[in-house]
Amino acid sequence: MADQPDGIVLRRHRDLEGRRWHPWLRRGLLGLIALVLVLALFDIFGQASSTTRAEAGAATLSVSAPGAVRGGLLFQFRITTEAHTELRDARLILNQAWIDGLTVNTIEPSPLNEASRDGNLAFDLGHLPAGSKHVLYLDYQVNPTTVGSRTLRLELQDGETPVTSLERTLRIFP
Amino acid sequence: MDIVLRAALAFWLIYFLTRIVGRRELSAVGPFDLIMLIVLGDLVQQGVTQSDYSVTGLVLAAGTIAILQVGVSYLNYRFKRLRPLLEGEPIVLVDDGRVLERNLGRERLTRAELEEQARQSQIDSLDKVRWAVLEASGQISFIPKQ
Repeated sequence: MADQPDGIVLRRHRDLEGRRWHPWLRRGLLGLIALVLVLALFDIFGQASSTTRAEAGAATLSVSAPGAVRGGLLFQFRITTEAHTELRDARLILNQAWIDGLTVNTIEPSPLNEASRDGNLAFDLGHLPAGSKHVLYLDYQVNPTTVGSRTLRLELQDGETPVTSLERTLRIFP
Repeated sequence: MDIVLRAALAFWLIYFLTRIVGRRELSAVGPFDLIMLIVLGDLVQQGVTQSDYSVTGLVLAAGTIAILQVGVSYLNYRFKRLRPLLEGEPIVLVDDGRVLERNLGRERLTRAELEEQARQSQIDSLDKVRWAVLEASGQISFIPKQ
């Protein structure tokens, strides 16, 4: 009878020579996976909401939405406009990053008018009396092939006059 | 193009996970493991094809996985030095009736589990085992004493 089965090298397969570091490599790699999960718990990969605010004398503009989303996810932007003084012709201007590679499922309430301004989206909100608040909900879904980081720019205008603006980043994970 | 990349990523992720979770988990397929396999398959499908319901998408995803599977098999066959990395290596668990506790612990196997596997191989005592080897596949081979 042979000393050991064919294909078995005792020094390597029984005494584990040259293999003692293998479990540590395995633990390290498992640790990396655990690290990704911990990062997910801290919302690195979406999709907890945060609020960005821009204050001006005439109005306050704020956007609440996730800072990070993933392909195919449904999410919502909430744009709040608080008029401190009367805005006769309030208008929101959204840059292309608000629409490229994203599907807009619905906008509520519908703006009085929607238009394109130099490639940007323009939503007419109409007359906002002093002290009034307007909340616009935009429901989205991320197109599955869209990935990357983008800067969303939002400007509040009264007619053609800029009132205030803000920027925020949206990260889209595959 | 992206569906090919997603299928390739899913293949390597699953391959990577099965290599690092250890053979203990792979060798035992109980009811819970079976359900987890189905759940895992569903999760992978969603990540690979997402909202693509086309036959083209199916061909691309399945074709990518098949080609990678053949590629890994070829590498395993052609390059001996890659085998430990791609497939793993056997570990001796019992040598002439003596249980190698350190090697058992390395694979998170208990003596009771080893005895259970021995019983399933019609061996009533580990004292009667000349060699027990945890194979790369996760199965335990028992060679009784003559």
